[in-house]
Amino acid sequence: MNKIKVLLIEDDRSISNFITATMDREGYKIMHALNGREGLSLSTSFCPNVILLDLGLPDMDGLDVLQKLRSWSDVPVIIISARTKEQEKVSALDLGADDYITKPFGTGELMARIRTSLRHSHAQAPGHVYKALDLEIDFEKRLIRLRGEEIHLTQIEYQLLTLLAENSGRVLTYSYIMNAIWGPYMDNNNQILRVNMANIRRKLEQNPAQPQYVFTEIGVGYRMRENENGGTV
Amino acid sequence: MFRSFSDKKSPRKSFRLKPPFTRHAISILICAACMLCATLASFLYQHIVPDNHANVALFYILALVIIARWTVGYGYGIACTLFSVIAINYLFTYPYYKLNFTLTGYPITFLLMSGITLILCTMTSHMTIQSEMIAEREKRLAEAEMEKMRANLLRAISHDLRTPLTGIIGNSSLFLESQNDLSSTEQRTIMTNIYEDSNWLLNMVENLLSVTRIQGDSLSINTTEEPVEEVVGEALEKLKKRYPDAAIRVRIPEEFLMIPMDAVLIEQVTINLLENAIVHSGSILPIDFIVEDHPEHVSFIVRDYGKGLSEEKLQNLFETGTYNNSRSSDSRKGMGIGLSICKTIITAHHGTLSGRNHADGAEFCFTLPKAEALASEK
Repeated sequence: MNKIKVLLIEDDRSISNFITATMDREGYKIMHALNGREGLSLSTSFCPNVILLDLGLPDMDGLDVLQKLRSWSDVPVIIISARTKEQEKVSALDLGADDYITKPFGTGELMARIRTSLRHSHAQAPGHVYKALDLEIDFEKRLIRLRGEEIHLTQIEYQLLTLLAENSGRVLTYSYIMNAIWGPYMDNNNQILRVNMANIRRKLEQNPAQPQYVFTEIGVGYRMRENENGGTV
Repeated sequence: MFRSFSDKKSPRKSFRLKPPFTRHAISILICAACMLCATLASFLYQHIVPDNHANVALFYILALVIIARWTVGYGYGIACTLFSVIAINYLFTYPYYKLNFTLTGYPITFLLMSGITLILCTMTSHMTIQSEMIAEREKRLAEAEMEKMRANLLRAISHDLRTPLTGIIGNSSLFLESQNDLSSTEQRTIMTNIYEDSNWLLNMVENLLSVTRIQGDSLSINTTEEPVEEVVGEALEKLKKRYPDAAIRVRIPEEFLMIPMDAVLIEQVTINLLENAIVHSGSILPIDFIVEDHPEHVSFIVRDYGKGLSEEKLQNLFETGTYNNSRSSDSRKGMGIGLSICKTIITAHHGTLSGRNHADGAEFCFTLPKAEALASEK
C-alpha cells in the first residue's frame, strides 16, 4: 500500500518523538532528519509527500533550507516556528512555504495542517464548489450563497473571497493577496486589503468579531475555513 | 510601583545639553549680539547725555552679564570683557577713537569688569554641572525603579511557575511509578491534569514574552495600525482553544476601526482579562466583552456576572507580588501577574486600565487612544 511519506526536519528529541508517534498512528511513513543538511539530502532520496521543517535548526537557517528545497521541488512544506516571530513566518511563506504551525501545538492542529497541504498539492480543477457551514461558493457560476440566499459582493471582494476559498485551510500572506488581487506595484500599505476584508466580514459573518469563515492571523495574513467538499487524502 | 510611571501623562522632560557645536554657535551669536547692542546703546546714550561714562560702562556690564549667563565656559566672557574695555576706551573715552590706557582708574575698571564676568561665568558653570548631576541622578533612580520592578516580576512569576510545574512533575512521576496499578480513569485524570497545567504554564510564558516586547526604561513598543475586530477575533479564537465551553457575548461597533497597537500584546491583555473573568468570577454566566468607539479612544470592557472583586483586591489590583490570602480553589492561578502585565502593556500604549465592581459582578475596562489623539499629544 502506498503510504503518505512525511519528512520531519527537527532537532529537538521530544518534539520529534511525539510527531513521529502521531504520524505512525495515522498510517504515514515518516523519516526524521536532525539538521538542515541531513534534511536536504533526505528530501532528494526519500521523496516525501510533505515536509515539516523547523526554523530553529542547529546547522543552517531554516529559511535557507526552504529556499534550497524550493529551487528544485514543489513539495508542500509546513514550517514549525515560535509564537511571536511573525516576520519569520511571513518570510517563510513568501519564500514558498505552504503553511506554518506555531509551537507549542497539539496533534489535532498538526494533522489538520498536513491534510490541508496535501489536499492543495493536488491540482485543483476550477470547477469546484466551496462549501463550509452555511456558505456556498460556486466558482463556475460565480455565485455566492449564504444560508441559501445569494449575497452580493463587489468585484474586488469576490476576487478576494474566491482566492481565499481556493486556498481554503491554508494561510495566505498579506503580500501574496495584495499581489494576486492588486498586482505587484502597490505600495506596502495593506490598508485597502484590511478594509475590503472588513466589508466581506460584515456581509458574511454574523459577528465580525467572532468570524466563522475567514480568520485573521495577525501580522501574517488570512486563512479561510476548510472546504467541506475537499477531496479525501 | 507602577503608579509612578503610569499616572504621568507625558514623559519626564529631562535636562539635556545640546551638542557642543550648537552650544558654541549659540554662544558666538549671543556675544556678537550683546556687544553690538551695548555699543549701539552707548552711542545713542552719548548723543543724548554726553560725558556720563559710568552709564556707558554699565551698558557693557549688562551685556557681559548676559554673555556670562548664557554662553559656554569662561572663554567668551573673558574675550568680551576685553572687547568691552577696548571699546569703551576707543569709542567712548577721551581721546575718542584713540586707544589710551594711561588714564587714571583704567586698570581698576578693567579688573572690576573682569571680576564681575569671571564670577558670573563660574556661577553659570556651576549651574550647568548641577543640572547635569540632577539629570544623572534622576536617570539612575528611574533605572533602579525599573530593575526593582523587573526583580519583583521575576520573583512573582517564578513563584507562579513552580505551582503548575509541581503538578506536572508530580502527576507524571505518579504515572511512571504506578502505571500498572492505575485504572484507566485515574490515568486519564493524571494526563488531563498534566495537560491543563502545561497549558497554564504556556500562558505564563506568553505573558512573560509580552513583557520582553516592551523596551527598557521608556516603555516603548512597536505599533502598527491594526483593525480592532481582527485583533479581538484572533484573541477570542485563542481563548476558545483553552476554554471551549466559555460563553462570551461580544459586541463591537459597526464602523471599521483601526488603532495603532502591538497586536500580540493587546491580544495578551484581552486573553488575560477574559481568562480572569472565566476563572475567578466563580460563575458560569456569560461574560460580556464590549468594544466602544469614542472620539479620541476606543474602550474595551470585560464584564462578568460573578462574585466581583474583594475590597482587598481592589486596593492593589495591578501590583505584582501582593497575593491575596483567601484560598479559593483556583487561587494558585494568581490573578496578580496577569493584571500587572496588562497594566504595563496598556500604559506603554498610552491607554488606561481600570477595574471595579458593578452591580452584579466585576468589570475591567481598558482604553486605547486613536491615531489622531496620539499625534496631537505629540
